[in-house]
Amino acid sequence: MCLQMMEITPSRPGTWTKRNILPLLGAGLFLWSAAPARGAGTGQSVEKQFKITGRPVVVIHNVANGRIEVKSWKNSEVDVVGTQSSNKVGFDIEQVGDRIDVTATILDPAAQPLELEADLQLTVPEETELQLKTETGLIYVEQVMGDMKLESYAGDVHLKEVSGYIIVKTTGGSLVCAQCAGKLDFSSIGGNAQILQPQLNNVNLMTTTGNILFDGDFVRTGLYSMKSGKGLVEVRFSSTDSFDLKAQTATGTVDNQASAFLKPDSHGGVKHMASKFTHGLFGTVGMGLAKVELSSYSGTIRIMRRD
Amino acid sequence: MQCKDIEFVLEQEGLEPLPDDARAHLTECRNCRNYIADLTSLVDAARKLPSEITPPDRVWISLRAQLEAEGIIRTPAEIVPAESASWWESISAFFRNRIVATAMVGILIAAAAVFQIRSDRITPSLEARKSLGTPPAHALEEVPSGEFAGTAQALNDQEPVATGMILASTSPVDASLRDNLKKVNEFIADCERHLKEQPQDELTREYLSAAYQQKAELLSAMIERGRSMN
Repeated sequence: MCLQMMEITPSRPGTWTKRNILPLLGAGLFLWSAAPARGAGTGQSVEKQFKITGRPVVVIHNVANGRIEVKSWKNSEVDVVGTQSSNKVGFDIEQVGDRIDVTATILDPAAQPLELEADLQLTVPEETELQLKTETGLIYVEQVMGDMKLESYAGDVHLKEVSGYIIVKTTGGSLVCAQCAGKLDFSSIGGNAQILQPQLNNVNLMTTTGNILFDGDFVRTGLYSMKSGKGLVEVRFSSTDSFDLKAQTATGTVDNQASAFLKPDSHGGVKHMASKFTHGLFGTVGMGLAKVELSSYSGTIRIMRRD
Repeated sequence: MQCKDIEFVLEQEGLEPLPDDARAHLTECRNCRNYIADLTSLVDAARKLPSEITPPDRVWISLRAQLEAEGIIRTPAEIVPAESASWWESISAFFRNRIVATAMVGILIAAAAVFQIRSDRITPSLEARKSLGTPPAHALEEVPSGEFAGTAQALNDQEPVATGMILASTSPVDASLRDNLKKVNEFIADCERHLKEQPQDELTREYLSAAYQQKAELLSAMIERGRSMN
């Protein structure tokens, strides 16, 4: 019927031919046939928007399996899109003043893991405070400039261009923090931490068995502490950086690949010495303006220049 | 009256009612008015806070681990129960509640059944415990005697309860929790061994303290998940 209508009443007679129409119809039919299948695969979705007058606080507790994605926009609104794989998961979304609470709850405890998938996609004003808690599935936050506390058992946390006081706590999930600014606290048992091109002035990283990579500049007067129980702690600094370094390990090793840039001591005041129970390395790069403390119980500490 | 007098009056008599001379000063002094306004809003906010919040178990365990690590507290002596009614009166009072009595009988039957099964299959059971990492070698054989003894004991007591609550679960989250518990236990055992050889090693002590805190939080998470599932 559609075909007949289009052939009989073209918008510009003479320009519409079967050669033009058929590919469009083919694509249309393909999308039409694919749409219900996609819907069945992803289940229901819910979307809500909330007007905000001040600086919003978004609290998410996702007990289902799924991804939480938060991005920002210029609008004074919080947009929440929840997608669930089945009706065995439900979303409670409510606004209390400038606080938005989103909770994904399991409605049927006997449901199979595949039926308990719930993804959340949020778009928030740039200056939004976040408190996200999930069990598994990725937490992804991009271009949000507010304090945030992100907790996950098994899921990874990826942050891009975020700033503020950032607290990340995982059990086994890893953190990737690219172009982050402000203050960062990360603690984990098995998770790794990768800090790439940061503008962070206060960093505390602690993992029991994971690895740590810090690749970027140390802000002058910044404080940096990176500890791994059994993993590798690797720092790649730039030649223009300025920091005092203290690296210690109980039973591991210190791999100094930047000895040409590390001066023995900086300020002539306190003389640093490793305890007789640890292997240590103390030195200064540049003026020694930032303070960098690296430690590992039994892993390797690697110090190298990036450029 | 001067601004410093206002502070003194507030310290001594509180916000309300202010004496006449203090109020007279306030009509002229903008700074003091702002100061009083700030204080009033703080007091109002404080009144809205709940009077009592029960913190989760992990807070107490972490606190205890930290205090023990800093040598502020030591492992407490065993508590001697206060003398009270006779043992028979206590038992009969306990069993007066029929629901409790029924539950107790059920638990006894279940315990007897478990004991029977365990005695039949003692070797596989131990293998299963090892594979779960609960409780680990250090918990079964060598409970540390140092400043972490109390924490280690408390956590080792809690560990079978926590792992038992998610024992039947096959979800990836619970598998991850069990896996990470195993990692922490291995790390704790490693640090304990090292500290026995080098008791003055402060770096290892710091790592051990942090590992106990992580274990406490992990067990608490397991218990919370177990409760939400059951």
